[in-house]
This record gives sequence, C-alpha cells and structure tokens, in this order.
Amino acid sequence: MRAVLDIDDLHLRIGRMPVLRGVDLTVEAGQVHGLVGESGAGKTMVGRAVLGILPSAARITDGHVTFAGIDLINLPAASRRGLLGRRMSMIPQDPMTALNPVYRIGRQLTDVLRHSLGLGRQAARQRALELLEQVRIAEPGRVLRQYPHELSGGMRQRVLIASAFACGPEFIIADEPTTALDVTVQREILRLIRKLQQDKGTAILFVTHDLGVVAKICDRVSVIHSGRIVESGTASQLFAVPQHPYTKALFAATPRYDRPGNRLVPVPRQLTLRLLEDAAAYDQRRRMLRHA
Amino acid sequence: MLEARGLALALPDRAAKPWFGAAPLRPILNGIDMTVGAGESLGIVGESGSGKTTLGRCLLRLYKPTGGRLVFDGTDITDMEEPELRPLRARMQMIFQDPQASLNPRRRIAQIVAQPLLAFGLAADRQAALSAAHGLLERVGLNGGYGRRYPHELSGGQRQRVGIARAIAVKPALVVADEIVSGLDVSTQAQILALLAELKRDLGIALVLISHDLSVVRVVCDRVMVMQQGSVVETGPCAALFAAPSHPYTRTLLEAIPLPEIDPAWIEDEPSADVGSAEGRARAMDIEGSVAFVTGCNRGIGREMVAALATAGAAKIYASARHVEGLADLAAAHGGRVETLALDVTDHGGVAAAAQKCGDVTLLINNAGVNANRPLIGGDMAEQRREIETNYLGTLAMCGAFAPVLGRNGGGAIVNMLTILSRVNLPALGSYSASKAATFSLTQGVRAQLAGQGTLVVGVMPGAVDTEMSAHLPQPKLPPMEVAEAALAAVRQGIESIYVGEMAQGVAAGLAANATEVEKQFAEYLPQ
Repeated sequence: MRAVLDIDDLHLRIGRMPVLRGVDLTVEAGQVHGLVGESGAGKTMVGRAVLGILPSAARITDGHVTFAGIDLINLPAASRRGLLGRRMSMIPQDPMTALNPVYRIGRQLTDVLRHSLGLGRQAARQRALELLEQVRIAEPGRVLRQYPHELSGGMRQRVLIASAFACGPEFIIADEPTTALDVTVQREILRLIRKLQQDKGTAILFVTHDLGVVAKICDRVSVIHSGRIVESGTASQLFAVPQHPYTKALFAATPRYDRPGNRLVPVPRQLTLRLLEDAAAYDQRRRMLRHA
Repeated sequence: MLEARGLALALPDRAAKPWFGAAPLRPILNGIDMTVGAGESLGIVGESGSGKTTLGRCLLRLYKPTGGRLVFDGTDITDMEEPELRPLRARMQMIFQDPQASLNPRRRIAQIVAQPLLAFGLAADRQAALSAAHGLLERVGLNGGYGRRYPHELSGGQRQRVGIARAIAVKPALVVADEIVSGLDVSTQAQILALLAELKRDLGIALVLISHDLSVVRVVCDRVMVMQQGSVVETGPCAALFAAPSHPYTRTLLEAIPLPEIDPAWIEDEPSADVGSAEGRARAMDIEGSVAFVTGCNRGIGREMVAALATAGAAKIYASARHVEGLADLAAAHGGRVETLALDVTDHGGVAAAAQKCGDVTLLINNAGVNANRPLIGGDMAEQRREIETNYLGTLAMCGAFAPVLGRNGGGAIVNMLTILSRVNLPALGSYSASKAATFSLTQGVRAQLAGQGTLVVGVMPGAVDTEMSAHLPQPKLPPMEVAEAALAAVRQGIESIYVGEMAQGVAAGLAANATEVEKQFAEYLPQ
C-alpha cells in the first residue's frame, strides 16, 4: 500500500503546553483511517497541523508531516495553499459555521471550483450542479440559490461533502463530520462519505470520539490519548481484540442498547494519570537526548 | 406521580408571521398520553424537532399546555397560575442540557447550589444553606474546594454534576433531565450516568431522561417513550421495546445507531429496507380480537399472560391449569372474557378434548412447564421424566392437537415459552435445560411444518424470571409481566425468536459470536 499521508513523531505545543507528543500515523491510499480519542487528546490538532490551519499560539516543535512525498512542515505557505482544495480538503464538524451565512450555496461552491480548477462561471455552475446531484440533493438548482440557514443540518453537511470532493482530492480530513446530526441522518451521511470515498479512491483521516462510527466506516484505526497514539491497527483487529488498556477502557465506558447488562465503567483515573505521566516522561527523555 | 392525558402545545410560528397581526399557532405536541410512577425512570427519545425537550418543559409546567390535562401527585396543574405552582416547584426539578448556560457565571458553585434552598425556604439561613450545599456537592463527587470556584473553572462533566446537585438540593419527587450527557466524553458520560443511577436508587426520585441516544436510555431507564413530530409513536418497558420494537420508526432509529462492532452491511444497506422483518410481518397477528388458549395459568408467566392478553384486547381467553381452583380470581377480574379449564398437558386425552371443545382458538400459548432444579447426573429419574413429559411431550401434544384448529381459523400463532437455557445447558439445572432444548428443537420443526397453513410459531427465550419456579435463582430477574408482554409483541410483529431481558440477549449474542466460550462460562455454574 502506498502512504498518502505520513506523520512521523509530530510534537506540537500551544504556548508552553505540549498538545501532541510524538504522533506517528500513516494513512494509506484509498483507505479511511479513524483517529479516535476523547476531548483534549489532540485529535483535532493532528488534522489542523496537516492542513496548516493551526491556532496562532501553536508551534510544531518536532517531527515530520509528509503528504504524497511533499514535506508539509517546511512548505512555504503559498505552495501549501496550492495543495488545499485541489489535492487535500476537509469536511468540518459544524456545517453552520463552515458555510458563510451571507452568500448563497451556489456562490460558495462555484468559488471553490473557479479558484481551484480555474473554471469559468458557467462551467463552474454546471459542475456544482453535478456535485450536488452526486451527494444526492434532490433539487440541486434550487439549493444553489439558497442560503445556508435555509437548509437542514444534514443538507448543509451534504453541501460541504460536495465541496470537499469537488476537485477530486487524494486526501480528505473529516473532523467529527456527523457529531451534530441525528442518528438517522448520520447514517445517511456516513454512507454517502463511504460511497464517494470508495468510488473515487480517496484516502480519509476520520477524526471522531465515537467508537461506533469508527467501527462502521474505518479501515484502520488509531487511538489517541494525551497527544500520543496508544494503539493502531486494522479496524477488524482493534474491535475484535483491543490491546491497549485505554482502548479497552473506552469500550467499557461506551453504553450499548443491545447490552444493557454491561456495567458502564468510566476510564479509571489511575490509567489516565499513568498515561499522562508516561507521555510527560517521554517528553522529558527526548529533551534530555536532544541536549546531550 | 405524574400523569398527562392528551397533552398538547401550540406555539406561535414567528417564521410564518404575516406583516400585520399575530403569528399563527404551530402545534408542537399533539395529544401526549403518559405517566411516570413514583421512583420510576422514563426515557423520552426522539430526533431533533420531535418535541421531546418541549414536552419535558411542559411536564414541569415551564410551558403552559394549550390542551389536555397534567396531574402531578394528584393535583391538576394544567392551568395553575405561578403563585399556586410555586410550592409544587420544589418537588419537581430540571437538569438542563447546557450547564454552561444554566449556571450563573457570576456566582460561586456553592452559592448556586444553595440558591434553591433559600428560595424555597428549606434552609434556616444563608450559613445553613451554604453548608448544606457543600454536603450536596460532596454527594455528587465534587469534594474539597469546588464550592468556592466559579462555573467557568469547572469541566463540562463537573458543571453537569453541579446541575444535578442543584436539582436534588430541594429533595424533589420528580427530576426531568434534558440531554444531560450529550456533548460529554464517553468516560465522563459513564460517570454521570453512574451518579444518576445511584441517586435514583438512594433517593427514590422519579426520573424523566430526555435523550437522543437510545443506548443511554436503555442503560438508565425502566420504560421508554419514542417521539416523532410531537407525537408518541411507541411506549413500553425498555426490555420489551428494545427486544421487539413494534413501530417502524423505532426500528429505523435502532438500526441507525452505530454499535461499536464491525458490520460492513450497516453502511451499504439502504436504511429500513429490511426484507426479513417485512416477511415476518406478513404472518404477524393482532392480539386484539384474538381467541387465546394459555396453559399453566395458575402462577408465574401464565397468570400474567392472561392479564396481558386481556389488556391487549383479546376477545376470549381460555385459561387452563392442572388445578383450576387457583384461576377463579383471574376469571372474576376479566369479566366474561376469561374461561377457566382444568387441563394437565401430560394427559393426551385431555389435550385432545380441549382442542375439540375450544374450536375458536387463534393463539395458542404453551406455557406449562416444570423444573426439577437438578443436574443431569445424580438427578431423580422420575423427576426428569416429568420434565420431559410436561415441557417437551406436553408442548408437542398441544401443538399437534391445536394445529388443525389454528389452520381452520386462518393460521393464527403458537407461542412456546422456552428459556435461554434451551440454547445452552446450565449444569445446575441440567435436566430442565435439556428438556427445554428438546422443546426449542420442537419449535423449529413445528414452525417448518405449519408454515404452509400460515401459522406463526414463536419461541420466547427469557433469562431468569421472577417466579416461584426460579425462586432460588439470584436477582436480577425479569418481572413475569415483561416476558408476557414481549411474547405478545413478538406475535404482533411476526418475530419468530425473541430473547427477553439483558441476560438472554447477552447470551444470545455470545452464542452467535462464540458458542464454545458461552458453554465454558455456563460450565462454571456447577451444581453445589
């Protein structure tokens, strides 16, 4: 398998606080790679580091991010912008804030197409209609004339999926794309993402906190805690026999309607503390090594 | 405790407001009927826009309903004005979805929790209220200095704990919790749910838990109510409803939940294109208007089955048992609809005579069974013979005698009361398990044989049930009524095998995944 994205020992701090402490992660071509963890684990920061949209206080202190052979960390901003939209794109979490409320859907979609693919006004509109049909929007012509607030959450997410796939990218980062949706809509959106991804052979880094969603859509999974990947493997292997105590603890804390007898066990405090200590000790050792 | 009848609410639709004049009213809740018993926990589930939050607020009279009646603790509070409601408010509390928005950012945590105590005059003075608040914070797991902090200094889970402490401060009889764990990490969620279960148990509070997450409701609640577009589509005990949801919408909701296990079909199938259940539904049968014959009615599941059939609107119920004297009260309770009948299922002449006499039966419920409570080796042969004669041969005789009756009456249904032990042997009850395994096999064979005449044959596999027969088994045990209701739900939907209760469902899932492992686990329960 060819790696589309290779993250090697990525360290990131926000201010003085370490957020990522040596993340290793490889997304292979045509696969959906789940990145699962709780809030504060650093999963969103991994995605933002790849796309180069980090908050201003964040600083990458070490490591490499390679996309299709290109070193993303030392890439000039202008070249990186050349990749975004064309070769890699993003499906964001909150479709309302990701769309500009004062422009019609049509304008927002054609802007991407005209800018990234250099299409003319008419060609871009035609392509936008095709894209909306692809994401199974019933009346694409009407939706193009609508404003984001006129659409339901599921419809808005479809528009963003259309926009993410617009230029046929090799790689997409999906950051909790279904968290804000009802379960029935979530299923449709996941199905849509999976279908487009398989048809076009796109690789996806799927960031989520929901083990259920990971089980359904991902080929491979990495579990992240306190800025480090604690376990990584194929989805079938990880769901059959989770290895790391933290992965097991996540399963034990997840309620299941089909197993109401299982007692829900929160992730034990000692385990969290131990993982934090491990991560801190690892940081310390690295720093000593560097100064030695 | 709380009862709503035909509760309706319409709110002005600002989006449709004409330039001049009032906004038209839009119905949000349409005729909701529901009850919450003291100490009971009811889950209200539905998707966004189903009206579940509005209903929660209506129940506490934070909104005034525009129709129907709302009775809290014997008092009609539908149209009460605020001053009259005020003393009742202390007895019904709410925990809100967003603790960040519902906690005053300018007050310290202890002050926030002490506030309701002062407002309702439940504390002598400020000092007493504050010290009570510290006690309450400790009760919800916020020890030490949290009382002096401000809401923004706490994490989401800690803020939700404060919301809970504030709600239980006034010792309410009813708490409505609206989406209190959505947006929390699973680990924090598990902590909050554990706290909720503990408080519910210790304080005997009735709980209405509003959630979009059916898994959360299943773990916390006794009963569940499914809402869609302002109406109730289905309601029932959690165990029965989750085992056999009768409304298609409930099924769609359940299927849409991504369980944390690999299932490639989940993401490929078109939703609700469920051929299997549609085929099953072709043989589904209404209980209303049916004529039922129940064996073994003088106790346990049989007794409850008669009551469940009567409630479900069966036209006639033949209640049979070896000792018919015990059935007099059943007949009296349900008027002319229950006819009692002395029948020993091991007496094959008697069985044939019963089939002859009751020629109008459309629903046969084979419930009679005995349990020697013995292991296989070293057990009493006579007792084991009695088990086979009652559990296996008795059921076979009944199926045989009534098959032509059911065929003549359009197919109908047979329900065989089995047990999860029919699928795996529990050595301590070895001979009973074996006799029921034979009956499980019988159920499969009879189902195949009677498919031609359109008879639905249902096998009901509960876990331990709270009856005399299982008196020696440890808790938790299923209430027999729940088993009876689940069996009838299966008939209504044409489900051929139904596993009732957590234990049975867990074992069934285990058997499907790794039968040998389950057998090994059961082997640990050796006879003493």
